[in-house]
Amino acid sequence: MDRDRRAQWLRGVLDLCVLGALSGGESYGYQIAQRLEAGGLGPIAGGTLYPTLLRLEKIGLIRADWRGGEGGPARKYYRLSDTGAETLASASAEWAGFAGVVKTFLEVATP
Amino acid sequence: MTAEEWLGRLTTELHRRGVAPDAVVAEAAHHLRESGQAPERVFGPPAAYAAAVAESLLGPGVEPPGWVRPAAAGEEPGVEPPGAVRLEARGITKRYAHRTVLDGVDLTVRAGEVVAVVGANGCGKSTLLRICAGLTSPDAGEVHVRGRLGYCPQEGGTVERLTPDEHFVLIGAGRGTDRATARRQGRTAAAVLDWPGVDRSPVAGKLSGGTRQKLNLIMSGLGDPDVLLLDEPYQGFDKGSYLDFWQQVWRWRTERKAVVVVTHLLSELNRVDNVLELGR
Repeated sequence: MDRDRRAQWLRGVLDLCVLGALSGGESYGYQIAQRLEAGGLGPIAGGTLYPTLLRLEKIGLIRADWRGGEGGPARKYYRLSDTGAETLASASAEWAGFAGVVKTFLEVATP
Repeated sequence: MTAEEWLGRLTTELHRRGVAPDAVVAEAAHHLRESGQAPERVFGPPAAYAAAVAESLLGPGVEPPGWVRPAAAGEEPGVEPPGAVRLEARGITKRYAHRTVLDGVDLTVRAGEVVAVVGANGCGKSTLLRICAGLTSPDAGEVHVRGRLGYCPQEGGTVERLTPDEHFVLIGAGRGTDRATARRQGRTAAAVLDWPGVDRSPVAGKLSGGTRQKLNLIMSGLGDPDVLLLDEPYQGFDKGSYLDFWQQVWRWRTERKAVVVVTHLLSELNRVDNVLELGR
């Protein structure tokens, strides 16, 4: 598939996917990247992921705190805030509607 | 570039954009350690990543640290009220031959204010600054400066055969600062403008235009002046040094200095307290 198009799609939904990746419980940056990749989104560069996390934290959809790992240095753990969970739920319904509409157009285009 | 070098560069670039680097750098370091990948593959160049982080945290463009927007009419006043008047120019008029360059220009700058002077080429921006600095006489009008004055010319101002250290000593002598202190102050200011090894620098005549301008800028700030007159001091600066320059301007503002910057870059105007447009 056209890589540019896929990157454009991802730009529109990465923040929602990050919220989704946190709906299963708190996590830290590298693990979130792994969850997204394992889920089929492909590798997400840190240069894209962390600014997204910072933005979500800034607008209050996720919360973060630093905690020590086992013997390792402290890690920044992220979790959904209540507003974040609400946003995810409503965006999920909206996305389903939007994807459904797009699908009808794409199906019509195929003979 | 090793991970350590990349993280070091990231720290510098975050500082430049007014972002406290510790948490961002620690998180990036953690990611690199766990993934074992090359920093440039994961995060891209340090400057680009720092810019993306700054935009996420601060919004587009460079936002000065601790910036409090001056209150517009009808708004709540800002935290810091304007201070005492430091520079006052009234009715400044200057003619060259038959051309009137400045015609009754007024300019008032208070402590803790940054004023930008803008206008087309040849509209008298540099002349106004020279008049405020006392280097050119006006045909009419008066300038009052309360406190010490620092002036950074657009070009010139350095002595070809002197090293930067010797420049610092020279300015220090005029300010009543001893040699060692003057050198130390100059070197510290150079470090802020990302100019390492200034103590081993060759004479000014061998420096690039941008580096000579850094020297000019450093000299204007020596001896803790109350009023700073800066005439497009960032010519020849690379992008990083340009950001350093504006951080320095905002630090001066925080230190309650009165700063006048001649500029033609309109993108900076929403981050100054006042704009004086000449030639209208």
